[in-house]
Amino acid sequence: MSRSSNGIELEGTVLECLRNATFRVELQNGHKVLAHISGKIRKNYIKILPYDRVLVELSPYDLTRGRIVFRYRS
Amino acid sequence: MNPVEFSHAVLISRVASGQWHALEDDLVVGRGEASRRPDGRVFVSIDAWHGAAFDRLAGAMLAALPRPLHTVVDEADLDLTVQWRRAGFTTRRREWEYAVPTDPRATGLDSAVPPPGVTIKAFGSAEEAPLRALDSTIRDEVAAGPGWQDMPAEVLVLPVLDPSKYAVAAHCGQYVGLLRVAMVTRLPRIGLIAVRAGHQRRGIARALLAHALGALHHIGKETASAEVTESNVAATALFEGIGARHIGRNLELVLR
Repeated sequence: MSRSSNGIELEGTVLECLRNATFRVELQNGHKVLAHISGKIRKNYIKILPYDRVLVELSPYDLTRGRIVFRYRS
Repeated sequence: MNPVEFSHAVLISRVASGQWHALEDDLVVGRGEASRRPDGRVFVSIDAWHGAAFDRLAGAMLAALPRPLHTVVDEADLDLTVQWRRAGFTTRRREWEYAVPTDPRATGLDSAVPPPGVTIKAFGSAEEAPLRALDSTIRDEVAAGPGWQDMPAEVLVLPVLDPSKYAVAAHCGQYVGLLRVAMVTRLPRIGLIAVRAGHQRRGIARALLAHALGALHHIGKETASAEVTESNVAATALFEGIGARHIGRNLELVLR
């Protein structure tokens, strides 16, 4: 886990793509969150798929919500 | 740069020339970014944890940036789409994301052959110099015609032209069409199909697609992805004719 100016960030694995442009992601600590993708990822046409390893920024208001801010290549 | 205070205890601070933060109780509750694409257009994005932070960021950014401004949203992301519309953005174009099967039995491309006199050069077998010349010629033709504004940014500038990513159509020894596949993830992406102006409507794009999908199928990739502007009738017909299915829809929004 890291705490940056972006908030709490955790690595996770995408479990499934849901409706409303959200993804269910299992974090390294076993918690599952609902996450949107960041505007940067969308602007760069980066596709998020099940089993992708991603970095999730957690919402400071609701730790079951997050935003995918990075997709790892492997 | 000086932060500007608003109600609801949200502070907006421009932290760099193209970056803004929304702060609430010392927490970053939103970030905005603006960047210029190679075609000169400015694209913005905002990630905020609540609507008030989004609105504050949008207000600060729109006041500081020259228009027109563009952004991209997933049409299924209703909240974000509504937020941008509230800021005054309208739809400029809609783009389909397709999942494209690669199995020739599913696509019907097993019988597709290039038109007479045209041969398809496999990935990695095209010569770099004539491929670069074709790329340059096609770019000039597009720039003189419909323009590049309906293309993803990555299509605009390719600092390295890697022949291993291209299948090429040749006619009488001259390269006349190309197809580029990116393999950055488990899902290959068809990034560009283009045929020179004088050689279009002869089945060359379909032959390139047949070759590329067949090659992906051969290495075990069952599906590829592609994005097509909804108004591009020829491209949507090409992909839907081979069984590609919609998996998403992006909106490019503009504030003029």
